Amino acid sequence: MAEDLVLDTAIRNWVLIPLSVVMVLIGVLRYFVSKLMRSDQIPDVKIVKEGQLVIRARNLRSSANFIPAKSFRARRHYYSNEENGLLHVPKGQAQNPQAQMFSDPNMAMDMMKKNLSMIIPQTLTFAWVNFFFSGFVAAKIPFPLTQRFRGMLQNGIDLSTVDVSYVSSRSWYFLNLFGLRGLFSLILGEDNATDDTQRMMQMGGFGFDPTRSLGAEKDNLDIVQHEWALPKFEQRAEAVLKKLVS
Amino acid sequence: MAAHEGSSGKDEIPTFNAENMLNNTRIINYSRTFMSIIGGVIAGILGFTSLTGFIFYFLVMAITSAGLGAKTGFSVHSYFDSWNRIILDGLLSGLLSFVLFWTFAYDIVHIF
Repeated sequence: MAEDLVLDTAIRNWVLIPLSVVMVLIGVLRYFVSKLMRSDQIPDVKIVKEGQLVIRARNLRSSANFIPAKSFRARRHYYSNEENGLLHVPKGQAQNPQAQMFSDPNMAMDMMKKNLSMIIPQTLTFAWVNFFFSGFVAAKIPFPLTQRFRGMLQNGIDLSTVDVSYVSSRSWYFLNLFGLRGLFSLILGEDNATDDTQRMMQMGGFGFDPTRSLGAEKDNLDIVQHEWALPKFEQRAEAVLKKLVS
Repeated sequence: MAAHEGSSGKDEIPTFNAENMLNNTRIINYSRTFMSIIGGVIAGILGFTSLTGFIFYFLVMAITSAGLGAKTGFSVHSYFDSWNRIILDGLLSGLLSFVLFWTFAYDIVHIF
């Protein structure tokens, strides 16, 4: 490859470090702004009820083996019988989530706010980087890459003779954008890191359908193989005691 | 690592607490991210390039796994459902952070 380029120290002092620092600070700022803008909406009673119901059914399912078979059957009947079981959703009563979403303008508003708080800073930073720092090599990644990465890493430099491992400032911005996610999850807590993916889920699925989760939980409950654990525990106690004595 | 799943013996019903395990998994991810960032800075300062750096990353991850294993007192099954949690979980999620900090430190120290 071509011999090493000599980069000006001023690039380090005035481009590389400031860019990274600004990216971190903007990430922190975005976190607090989105925290401030988040409106505490009062959750719908019905949705909360259904969520709690699913959790209760799940608890029953996970600890089914610790109660006698009769008790388990009684509980299962309580949850999933066809007449008035809690998990049983009559047909036709299922609400369309899309319609529900349009009936509640708050939800759409909230989502728009979230999206804006993500898009605006990104656009601004990108414009800032583009305006001030375009047209020169800002960094060098310490491993070789194939020519295919040229478009990705040397965005803004139209030279084909420069080694691909040299990175333009615009691409350094993108590297920061993705690489700092880990740092944010450390300094801001888990919820920040998952925010993006959650947002994607919301946009894709448009809210979850509570009736569907109820139905799924009912099916799960129906196929549980019940086996009471208590008889085995006597054997286990015996083993433990024997170990203690010997 | 506050959580544990209860005792585990041979041929027995598995008893574990899903919330506690979720917490443990989160701790693993935290440590991995932290170690990948620290490892990136170290690799950059030491001036590793190309393959050496990536080997260093996996070395750091192996050390993290060993550390997590030591933290559980090598009785992994009372904290996690399998060894894979400790060895494989989040192995590649820290790679991007690692590359970023590696590049950053390497550029600052060696390029200019």
